[in-house]
Amino acid sequence: MADVGPRTSILTQIKLVARLRWRILRNNLRRKNNRLDLIGLIFAGAFASILVVGLSVAFYAGGYSFVSQGRASWIALLFWAIFLFWQVFPVFVAGFGSSFEFRTLLRFPLRLSTFYVIGLAYGLADFSAVAAICWLLSMAAGATVAQPGVLPVMLLIVPAFTVFNVTLERLLGSWFERLFARRRTREIFLALFVLSAVSLQFLSPFLQRYGKSLQPVLSRLWPYLSVFPPSLAGRAVADAAHQDLGGALVSLLGLLVYVVIFSGLLWQRFAVQYRGEELSETSAPARPAKRADAAASSAERGDALGVLAPQIAAVVRKEFRYLTRNGFAFITLLMPPLLVLLFSSQFGGKHPTLSHRGISPEMFFPGMMAYLVLILLAPAYNCFAFEGRGIQTYFMSPVRFRNVFLGKNLLLVAILALEITLAIVVFALRVGLPAPPRFLATLAAIVFVVVGQLSIANWSSLSFPRKLEFGQMRNQRQSGMAVLLAFGVQIVLGGISTLILFAGKWTGNAWLPAEAFIFLAAAAIAGYVAALDPLDQLAQTKKEVLIETLCR
Amino acid sequence: MPETAILTEKLTRRFGNLTAVDGVDLQVAAGQFFGFLGPNGAGKSTTIKMLTGLLAPTSGRMNLLGVDFASNPVDVKRQIGVVPEGMGLFERLTGTEYLHFVGQMYGLDRATTRQRSEELLEFMQLADRPKTLIADYSHGMQKKLALAAAVIHGPRILFLDEPFEGVDALAAGALKALLGRMTERGATIFLTSHVLEIVERLCSHVAIIHKGRLVAQGSLEELRRGVPGEAGTQTLEAIFLSIIGQDGTERPQLEELTWLT
Repeated sequence: MADVGPRTSILTQIKLVARLRWRILRNNLRRKNNRLDLIGLIFAGAFASILVVGLSVAFYAGGYSFVSQGRASWIALLFWAIFLFWQVFPVFVAGFGSSFEFRTLLRFPLRLSTFYVIGLAYGLADFSAVAAICWLLSMAAGATVAQPGVLPVMLLIVPAFTVFNVTLERLLGSWFERLFARRRTREIFLALFVLSAVSLQFLSPFLQRYGKSLQPVLSRLWPYLSVFPPSLAGRAVADAAHQDLGGALVSLLGLLVYVVIFSGLLWQRFAVQYRGEELSETSAPARPAKRADAAASSAERGDALGVLAPQIAAVVRKEFRYLTRNGFAFITLLMPPLLVLLFSSQFGGKHPTLSHRGISPEMFFPGMMAYLVLILLAPAYNCFAFEGRGIQTYFMSPVRFRNVFLGKNLLLVAILALEITLAIVVFALRVGLPAPPRFLATLAAIVFVVVGQLSIANWSSLSFPRKLEFGQMRNQRQSGMAVLLAFGVQIVLGGISTLILFAGKWTGNAWLPAEAFIFLAAAAIAGYVAALDPLDQLAQTKKEVLIETLCR
Repeated sequence: MPETAILTEKLTRRFGNLTAVDGVDLQVAAGQFFGFLGPNGAGKSTTIKMLTGLLAPTSGRMNLLGVDFASNPVDVKRQIGVVPEGMGLFERLTGTEYLHFVGQMYGLDRATTRQRSEELLEFMQLADRPKTLIADYSHGMQKKLALAAAVIHGPRILFLDEPFEGVDALAAGALKALLGRMTERGATIFLTSHVLEIVERLCSHVAIIHKGRLVAQGSLEELRRGVPGEAGTQTLEAIFLSIIGQDGTERPQLEELTWLT
């Protein structure tokens, strides 16, 4: 029988974990493909350092001025700012991706107490924790310099507030981890997150209209916040500044009660993980449903794709299903009418909020349409992003890649047509449509710009593929070259279109832009058709890169 | 003389300085159940990828069912089915949707595709999860679906890269029976597996690749005759180890792990 290794101390295990994290980071950067990531990391590091140092100065100044000017109770605001950053930032960094790195440690012979301590140590090594601790110390230093008498209370409050925050952050993190372990939940949360980010665009017009009536509601809410930890920490410092040691101790005690409660909850969560929590992605067994897909089959039978070649129709159907199952992409489709609504309330109509006079539809309409095309065509530059290992199916089956592109482009154009129609309806109701020559010129320009871009976007998809995951935000970046190309093409086509639109004004011929765009649209369509066969050949040349990138 | 299903001449694939497959000459007759063996990194998957159009050879020729692959890839692909390494599934489709998609990509009409999909899903015991996305399937279920997709168009050659990995014993038994029936009807099965017992039980012919080179090829009986020992009694494992060991490749020595043994 083999000898079993001796027990190791908690400190040794923490050191091992720290070394492991460092090696993973270092080895990841050593990979050839990650050189650009290293440069990015250096820039991000420099930016983060400036942010942390700059805000540390601001927190020092805040702590100093609140205490020295006799407004020590306002220091609670600084505790709230630190608290919100500490708890909210990690959620954004987690980015709705599943990550079980910390849990993998459970395969090793750790005691629950060691697992707990390592869990907290993990929390303290996060950027949010390091930054928040810097700000907390700066604020404490500022307050202490202003009034040295607060130092003893600060020495108790800062560690208690740190332990409270790191415990709560780990607790929330472990709950999020459990929640996001399920693909469907992850995707729903991402969709809600994107939807709320879009909704934020309406915050400014909303506040402009209803901001004043909201103020009394907010001031009524404020007293209820006083029982929360950041307010308790602030009150303890304020009481110390007013030499009310009893009051300070009561607030500190309140904070410690929170620390004990959340520590208990975190211990329970970690104990569940320690005993072996099931976070499997595999769904529960389904009830037998023999021939249950008959409904789906009959729905498929009745679609209108019969006029297309079977392979193109199959790609269109597959693309449509992928789109409806990709929360992020699906929500992007809601954007155009919403954006028309938003911009028309800000710049157009009878009561624009951001300009004194509404912008004329003659310029507003083409500008708005250009913006929508810009948004909707962006994914076309990396159209295989979500295929994953399925890309092999295209190369294994007897299909020419031109048909794959035709299927993908056809669905995109159909969606674009629907979206633009919706946007035009919203535009007509909110602002009104431009004169017929400008309206027709804009529609022809859309055809020219869209079809003109599709060939280049198809080439970009083959040449600069980048794998993206459904329902994740973390590490979801397009290829830099694809982004640059899309940007360049859109600037060139946008520039040409603007020149042609203005040419109508300069020559005094209102119909000239429409005629020119119809000619260009026809040329773009001919170019698109001519490019299909070369793209088919290029796909064969690039297949290894595509498969390697997307199956990774 | 049986028709040749797969014929390669000097098939070579290099990745930079590494020659993964080095001048392989394969000959597989139609209707054979053919096992393609080799240690890890020997070049099995690279060869199968080239034979199925997922990877372009650096040099050499491939001829499948009498058709040159390089000049008629679409014609060749119409007649073959593949379960590649990693399975190549569109994970955001349901099993039914994926089979419908693949059937139509192979040019089947929609009614035939629907009928075959239903039958295959029943056979693979996947019919009770009509609304489950492939992403939520277990590994074994994904493998069974990949197999269903590979045969939906009734291929004349079936390439299978580790087909039984992760598949339960019940389904594996049914699959073996299905594959056996396919070869009886003239289809050719080209299979790679690390489980030598499976290959020995299923395959009539075997080729062994090692460090990118084909080191043995023939029927099991022919291979048995070529290695030392009592004639006709060696297992495939013994044959495999004997052939791989001939170039001086050493097996890991247990004596080095004294602290464990």
